[in-house]
Amino acid sequence: MRHGRARFITGFLALPVVLYLYYVVAPFGQSVYFSFTSWRGFSDEKPFVGLDNYVRLFRDELVRKAFWHNVFFLVAVPVSTIALALFLAFLLNVGGQGNRAGIRGVRGSSVYKVIFFFPQLLSLVLVAILWQALYRGDDQGLINGLLMKLHVISRDEPLKFVSDPTPFLGVPAVLWWLLLIAIWGGTGFYMVLFSAAMQSIPRDIYEAALLDGASRVASFVRVTLPLLRDTVSVAWVYLGFIALDFYALVFVMTPSQGGPNHASEIFASQINFNAFNSGRYGYACALAVALTIFALLLAALQLRVIRRDRIEF
Amino acid sequence: MNAPLPGTRPQAANIPLQRARPEATGIRLEQVSKRFRGGVLAVDRVDLDVRPGEFVVLVGPSGCGKSTLLRMIAGLEAVSGGRIWLGDQDVTSRLPQERDVAMVFQSYALYPRMTVRRNLGFGLRMRHTGRPERNRRVAEVAEVLGLEHLLDRRPAALSGGQRQRVAMGRAIVREPKAFLMDEPLSNLDAKLRVSMRAQLSRLHQRLGTTTVYVTHDQVEAMTLGQRVAVLRDGVLQQCDTPQHLFRHPVNLFVAAFIGSPSMNFVAASVSGGAAHFADLRVPLPAGSSLATADRQVILGIRPTGFGVAESNGWPTLRAVPDVVEELGDERNLIIDINAPRVDTDATRAAVAARTADDALLLPEEKARFTVRVPGDHPVSIGEPLDLAVNPERLYFFDPETGQTLR
Repeated sequence: MRHGRARFITGFLALPVVLYLYYVVAPFGQSVYFSFTSWRGFSDEKPFVGLDNYVRLFRDELVRKAFWHNVFFLVAVPVSTIALALFLAFLLNVGGQGNRAGIRGVRGSSVYKVIFFFPQLLSLVLVAILWQALYRGDDQGLINGLLMKLHVISRDEPLKFVSDPTPFLGVPAVLWWLLLIAIWGGTGFYMVLFSAAMQSIPRDIYEAALLDGASRVASFVRVTLPLLRDTVSVAWVYLGFIALDFYALVFVMTPSQGGPNHASEIFASQINFNAFNSGRYGYACALAVALTIFALLLAALQLRVIRRDRIEF
Repeated sequence: MNAPLPGTRPQAANIPLQRARPEATGIRLEQVSKRFRGGVLAVDRVDLDVRPGEFVVLVGPSGCGKSTLLRMIAGLEAVSGGRIWLGDQDVTSRLPQERDVAMVFQSYALYPRMTVRRNLGFGLRMRHTGRPERNRRVAEVAEVLGLEHLLDRRPAALSGGQRQRVAMGRAIVREPKAFLMDEPLSNLDAKLRVSMRAQLSRLHQRLGTTTVYVTHDQVEAMTLGQRVAVLRDGVLQQCDTPQHLFRHPVNLFVAAFIGSPSMNFVAASVSGGAAHFADLRVPLPAGSSLATADRQVILGIRPTGFGVAESNGWPTLRAVPDVVEELGDERNLIIDINAPRVDTDATRAAVAARTADDALLLPEEKARFTVRVPGDHPVSIGEPLDLAVNPERLYFFDPETGQTLR
């Protein structure tokens, strides 16, 4: 019986495992191997160059730029998305009118939830088209057109949005505009995630805090937020991965996929550029491996920082 | 009623008198109503006056509106009609944090991420009490409740009884105008509940803080309350001392709800100065207003209203016990009575509030009595015995209205 069961399980597992090894694990291994070569992608020759690609990577001005842009997103995306999502979740769940008894969200909170969650349902292509229309640089742009009609800006000097490399707080403006899209698209999901977590906290605890004299804000900061720690840290990990990727938005929204003049260059766009535009497959693979190692280090750090302890209500 | 009960924890007993509160605040409810969205009337024009320092228990079957009423006093539930006064202040439309009352929840509602110390001190911190004063008061309350060694633990690392004491401590430490307790003992096992009940009584004696306590357990209500308010379907039935409630219930529901085991009911008639049921004639007590009446009534007899037939002249009832429940010093006998069973909304509500199993014991048509006899009296199932009915311990109710006929 035992033997038969093992065979049964193996029978089911064999095919997916083989497919996984062939299509996922092997290419990873291959990438690592290619990263030690100067393969150009089209020839059979894969000259072994040792750690040259990695040494070059550290000297590459563009890669360094891309890295710091990723770091910017890595900090800005989770911080702003989580802060906004927490604020909205607070309003929708416990931020209702102060002059009435009990705890409730603002009026019409369920409608707001749907509205805030809506961007999550749109495909990235739709999001990009929508924001391209918003960010358009002439009087046909939704924002520029309106501002021009209102004579806030002149027709000759439209807002440049994603084609604006001017630094703001040391970061090119284009990255801030991309950040805005990421926040818009991501906040709804995390708001729903936090709302669900908040609703799983027994109501009694909020009420006890109220009776203890805590204002809504104080009870949120001192009672609710500590109870959301696990959920927030999960959100942090997800958003961290999104920030490390960010490829699609940069690719679709920015001029010359990382422009203008490399102002929105990120790791992923550099990998793409090196592999498919410059034919430096080996180098692109080294970049990808470096990004993977960076992501793993971050994940390990995250796991160390989050001390997991179970909460009993 | 506040006599110490067995099982009290010694640490509570050894602490000298804490703060007596001569300035204790009363609570007054005037025609308080609560109608939920959807039209359900949970509380219907309740008038209740809790005197300063008094311990009042709200009791009733589940869904009777007692918790809603408590939450309205706390400010956690909006009042649909009427007014609530704390002392001489109308707090009807005040926020919970402005009312200065403390509540102990059934679930304890401790803050899971905070240690016991911070749980206790949270209310003081929110009220901007200085750290030295806060520490002093937390230490004092921890000592009273025997929590000193637990101060640095989180709630998850505490037993049910310890959590309950922390919840109590959190209420006490703030020295609020009133304690509101929503079934605070119902998550404890039976033995611990008895011991905590005693502790609660002692604490109240010491602190003298006005307390409103909600429970569905009439034993808890009777043992704890200086006065007990019985609610049914959102309507206050009677608010009285436990003794008065037990001896002089105003209606069938209160009579059926208070007392354990429940009062026995049987359809009877009154004529010629005596009550008649099951071929038995029981003379009415002297001075009864029913002396000259000729009518149908519902007759109620407590299980303790019987005695073993002796030469005391009480009318006797020959009965065959179906079930004998041994309680040690006493026995409960369950006997069939050859008279129609009383089945009104009030008795059903009161019985259902106890246990569903009680209801199953009721036979279809015949009345069934529970009789309490001394444990040393020889009784066996199926063996007939004579039970004497104490005419002084009879209750009469109007079959239509359920009101007590005196």
